[in-house]
Amino acid sequence: MAVISVWRRRVGLPPVSVILAVTAAGVATLPLLAVLVLAVTGSGADGYLQHLASTRLPGYAANTVLVLVTAAAGAALIGTGLGWLIARTRFPGRSIFEWALALPLAMPAYIAAYGWLDLTLAAGPLGALPTVRGWWGAGVIFAVTLYPYVYLLTRDAFLRQPPHLEEAARALGRSGASAFLTIALPAARPAIAAGLALVAMEALADYGAVIHLGAPTLTVGVLRAWSGAGSLADAARLAVMIVAIALVLTTLERAGRSRARTAGQRSQPNRTALGPGAALLAIIACLTPLLLALVAPLARLAWHALHSEPARNVWNSSLNSISLAAVTACLAALFGLASAYALRSGGRFAAFPVRTAMLGYAAPGAVAAVGVLAVLGTLQSGLDRAAGGIFPVLLTGTVLALVFAYLTRFAAAAIGPCEAALGRIPPSLDEASHLAGAGPVRRFVQIHWPLASGGILAAALIVFVEVLKELPATMILRPFNFDTLAVVAHNYASDERLGQSALPALVLVALALPAMAIVARQAIAPKRIEVR
Amino acid sequence: MRLEISFAALAASGAILAACGGSDTTGDSRAANDAAAGESRVVNIYSARHYDSDRIIYQRFTEETGIEINLVEANGDLLIERVRADGERSPADVIVTVDAARLHRAEQAGLFQPIEDQDILALVPAELRDPEGYWLGFTARARVIAYSTERVDPASLTGYEALASEEWDNRLCMRSSDNAYNQSLLASRIIANGEDAAEQWANGIAANLAVPPSGGDTDQIRAIAAGTCDASFVNHYYYVRLANSETPEDQAVANTVALYAPAQEYGGAHVNVSGAGIAAGAPNPDEAREFIRFLLSDEAQRVFAEVTNEIPARSGVTYDNPRVEAVAAWARDPVNLGELGDHTEAAVRIFDRAEWP
Repeated sequence: MAVISVWRRRVGLPPVSVILAVTAAGVATLPLLAVLVLAVTGSGADGYLQHLASTRLPGYAANTVLVLVTAAAGAALIGTGLGWLIARTRFPGRSIFEWALALPLAMPAYIAAYGWLDLTLAAGPLGALPTVRGWWGAGVIFAVTLYPYVYLLTRDAFLRQPPHLEEAARALGRSGASAFLTIALPAARPAIAAGLALVAMEALADYGAVIHLGAPTLTVGVLRAWSGAGSLADAARLAVMIVAIALVLTTLERAGRSRARTAGQRSQPNRTALGPGAALLAIIACLTPLLLALVAPLARLAWHALHSEPARNVWNSSLNSISLAAVTACLAALFGLASAYALRSGGRFAAFPVRTAMLGYAAPGAVAAVGVLAVLGTLQSGLDRAAGGIFPVLLTGTVLALVFAYLTRFAAAAIGPCEAALGRIPPSLDEASHLAGAGPVRRFVQIHWPLASGGILAAALIVFVEVLKELPATMILRPFNFDTLAVVAHNYASDERLGQSALPALVLVALALPAMAIVARQAIAPKRIEVR
Repeated sequence: MRLEISFAALAASGAILAACGGSDTTGDSRAANDAAAGESRVVNIYSARHYDSDRIIYQRFTEETGIEINLVEANGDLLIERVRADGERSPADVIVTVDAARLHRAEQAGLFQPIEDQDILALVPAELRDPEGYWLGFTARARVIAYSTERVDPASLTGYEALASEEWDNRLCMRSSDNAYNQSLLASRIIANGEDAAEQWANGIAANLAVPPSGGDTDQIRAIAAGTCDASFVNHYYYVRLANSETPEDQAVANTVALYAPAQEYGGAHVNVSGAGIAAGAPNPDEAREFIRFLLSDEAQRVFAEVTNEIPARSGVTYDNPRVEAVAAWARDPVNLGELGDHTEAAVRIFDRAEWP
């Protein structure tokens, strides 16, 4: 607690946001610390890691690199291309595509993988196409479902670039393509890097899609060490490697983001109208990723849902999914907001908890769950020793463990948007309100909230979607008699009843899509706050 | 300090949870705790199974005994880890997994207490339960050879070993070696032939793959029907489900694929179990015993055979599913399933070296 009071004195923040920011960092990092402890102190299976290093590890590493590179290349191409198209040109449907292009984020990669493998197997309706599997298949699935991270950030970056630079280059005789490559693209590089870091982190943490498509990455190795070799400690050691990769990606992301933000102010959009032929191509370019990420796999699932007996328990698990996602979204937004305030206060001391919170995002769900189990197990035995069993059994009695794990993984997803929302409020407003004698509460209620509420809502909805999609931590940490849509869909799919898993999967995506649409519309709304 | 922070986190999230109007699941835990007070009888089940047949059985169990069921379903390893993390106050009464190796692992971790009722144990053949009674299998499944009836002469099939020979080059589809079913099959080969021979066998199979592994057992069967490959190892119930299906596409697949189980002279069919044990610290041990007894009742065994196409562990149960009856009559590898667990880690290491992805 001494730490907090020192911090308070140094940065002069209101106590609530400090406590919340530290709590957020604690929630995000404690389970990862527990995994680290397990990795360092746990006794692994005899020589298993050496054995793994000489057998599977190179393959896992190669797959990880290939999958991430394919996903990143695809996402960079699609995201940057569409970002530029939307920011710089005008064609019929542009204003709809502007937000609709973010919708693939609502599609869990594992559901897209189920749909695409089923479509393109030799006996499937698209059997003539190459079967979507292996590292390139997984890379493509991640590219089409995760490119919106790059799209949203680069679109923003292109809007910030003064359009006359590119126009000048063209007037000086450069071709359109050359002007794009030499002027627009280099300036958008930080935004692309930030988007790709998010793509890579999410692909790194995935288990469902890569295992189904037969492209085992390091995350699969973690589960294999645990379930095959029965060594949780060795699994933890591999997990630490993954989190280390995530650390590098987080650093890239933050570096990219901060440079992206200083790269200029948004200018008035000055869009080139496309001729009919080019407009048609632009529309096709926008429709293709939506078709690949959403329409094709969802149509296949809908076909399956119509051709098989209905899954049980879809209604109850929908309610469970929605309430869990809503509660976590509330909390994550609160943590995100607190962290954003801590960052706004400046200083390394504030940035540290926020940066560590980012790590949880790249931890595979099962790893986060093991960490949460370890933390809660320790806490439970501590409580029981101290109080003699008056506390309920934390794990089985409540959704607390589950919400804890979700926050570990997704609090980070809320910090970025909250930070961005607050960042748009000029500090001069704070000073003005201070001079006018307003306290921090009034400043928040009357000035910050009205200006930032859209961004905070977006932060909550992003977490809402992530929680809907989450599977491994949900499976293991949920209380008795508690199914969610992702769990029901997975249970049927793992029993190879794709038909019955289709309905819960469709409901899941149907819930995530409108949330994502609101996030997308919020993200593309004009961001400059005019101070007169 | 660490404990303080995490407690603050929990307290804060608990308070906010209430403030946000979070979902109320505490009712279930109350039900779990009431049992000790004797108000209503419950049994808390941690299960790695998640089939619709189980729901039917849970419902009938509650109807017939008045004992309420609380249920958590998750993958076997996570389940075992959760019981371990729950510690002394774990509410788990019965732990159910779909693989003998996992049961063995849970037993080694001290998570089970022996089932002492000889009348329950006697219902299950000795090779399908732990010699000391820590767990027992209540249904069995056979992992056998699925082959194309168009391109394979069943008379040419012998044991699992033969598929590793050169004549099968480029003709096999296999599921990933991450799959527990394949790990148990290889463990059974280690017991039958020794580690070196088992490793050669795994190498041979891996070398004969026509395509890299992807998808589940049903996908392998469909791939055989589509002509991608000629044979694979699959659990019998995935095939029976397709064959019993009313969908024309499924029947078309089943019509061009058949199952072959190695005859006794080639070692018999590899079987594994779904099994259950009573948790070491079970708060409701009597109800747990009653539940396990119910799993072995005529009624439950019939549901397993008819709804999920599993082989009843008890012999002499009658049911209406001729295809499962045929499977139940196959000669079986006589190994005690508990032994598989001793060799799973070796199996995984062999798979690692064999480049069976």
